[in-house]
Amino acid sequence: MVLGLLVVLSLLLLTAYFGEAHNGRLHGVQRDFLAVVSPIQDGANKALKPVRDLFGWFGDTLHAKTQRNELLKQNEQLRRELVANEAEKRNYHQLASLYHLDQLGVNDYHPVTATVVGKNPDLWYQTVNIDKGESAGIRVNDPVINGEGLVGRVATVVPDGAEVDLITDSSMGVSARIGANAATGLLQPKVGEPNDLLLQYLPANYRPNPGEYVVTSGTVSNEESLYPPGILIGRVTSVNEESAYESVNVHPLANLHNLDIVQVLTAGARTRPANLSSLAASLSAAQSTTTTNTGEQLASTKVGE
Amino acid sequence: MNGAASSSLLPRLAGFAFIIVFFQIGVVSELPVFGVNADVCSLLVAFVGLLCGSTIGAATGFAVGLLIDLALLQTLGLSSLVFTLVGYWCGRLRELRDPQGPLTPLVVGAAASAVSLFGYSLMEFMLGVDAPVSFELLGQIVLGVLVNTVIALPMWALTRRVLDSALPEDPRRRRRRRSYTTGGLSPLIKP
Repeated sequence: MVLGLLVVLSLLLLTAYFGEAHNGRLHGVQRDFLAVVSPIQDGANKALKPVRDLFGWFGDTLHAKTQRNELLKQNEQLRRELVANEAEKRNYHQLASLYHLDQLGVNDYHPVTATVVGKNPDLWYQTVNIDKGESAGIRVNDPVINGEGLVGRVATVVPDGAEVDLITDSSMGVSARIGANAATGLLQPKVGEPNDLLLQYLPANYRPNPGEYVVTSGTVSNEESLYPPGILIGRVTSVNEESAYESVNVHPLANLHNLDIVQVLTAGARTRPANLSSLAASLSAAQSTTTTNTGEQLASTKVGE
Repeated sequence: MNGAASSSLLPRLAGFAFIIVFFQIGVVSELPVFGVNADVCSLLVAFVGLLCGSTIGAATGFAVGLLIDLALLQTLGLSSLVFTLVGYWCGRLRELRDPQGPLTPLVVGAAASAVSLFGYSLMEFMLGVDAPVSFELLGQIVLGVLVNTVIALPMWALTRRVLDSALPEDPRRRRRRRSYTTGGLSPLIKP
């Protein structure tokens, strides 16, 4: 009896409520009821907040470990993505530097294309001979490049030919930096591995990533280098742990065993690169008997004065 | 039925139901456990039915449902209908079987929650709620039943503690009689 009455009442309420408009009588009753109990609800809400917080604290604690693990995974993934993006950004800058040499101070140079006509087979003297010389405007210490990157510098010049020291030659030293970073160092051949290079004297605690590009820095001790900035040299293969200084192993990008065509970046007369080259050449000649410093270092010493 | 007890039962029951409904709305509904909320109201209705019988259980179910529908601006009569049936069936269970096992509240709580959740979902679908019937929904209902089962025993203890002293004499007397009868049948005790 009671059950039937309550069920019928519920169904009547349900039917009436469902059938009427939003401004109907039952909706109005509902709104009025809400207006009455709203302060009670508000008070109860405030009064029960500590209880809610207590239960919430237990729940949060239970979920905290799971959430922490998920966030750690997410963080790791984001870090990987960040590193990949940074590497791509650096690569982009490298490529942009390579393809926009005009903006990097190469305007002062006049590339002279030359053919490699001879190679020194000696392991300790990594040099090649080219078919262009003084008559084509080539001077000692002019940078030599090919399509892949820096090849070396002109060591000796004759009217119709020149000898080029490859970057893997023991007499070479190039001021270089890693990618788009400000981390600069001196790039020299690696002792015992003549086909590889060692970028030394990097800033302390600097940890480069393998695969990063190494380019000429264009400066030595805040002065201009013999080599224009942004010329690609090689890629970082690993961090060198044997050296006393922060240093990395670099593999040259240019295939030095298979050089056919190169470009010599000759400097116009009375331009700054030309002055630098002649200065370095004169210092090299004067001090070569007493020191093993490279032309790059000598130039920086003199410019620094 | 003891007049004093029954007269104090209704206000006590009304106050208790009012508090539980607002506790449900203000606290329990904001504390998801495994992605679902416990439903202490359906447990309350079930246990009132189990303690007080089908009539009071059905009336409590109707009142609690109406209060929830009014306070939450839900479809009026929907929760009332479901809770009325839950309260009535639990009351009938007491009247017909009078189960005394220690796990009875657990089973009754789980069954009441399942009926309540399935019934409410079924009614919503019948009224044309635009929601897909999915395994996720089924999983939510099952999880809800499990969570309610976990809190069934504490809720039973609380309900009995609040209402026990105001219950009619009949159920209490029957419980005492059953204990006495069981003790009398023990072979260790001489008649």
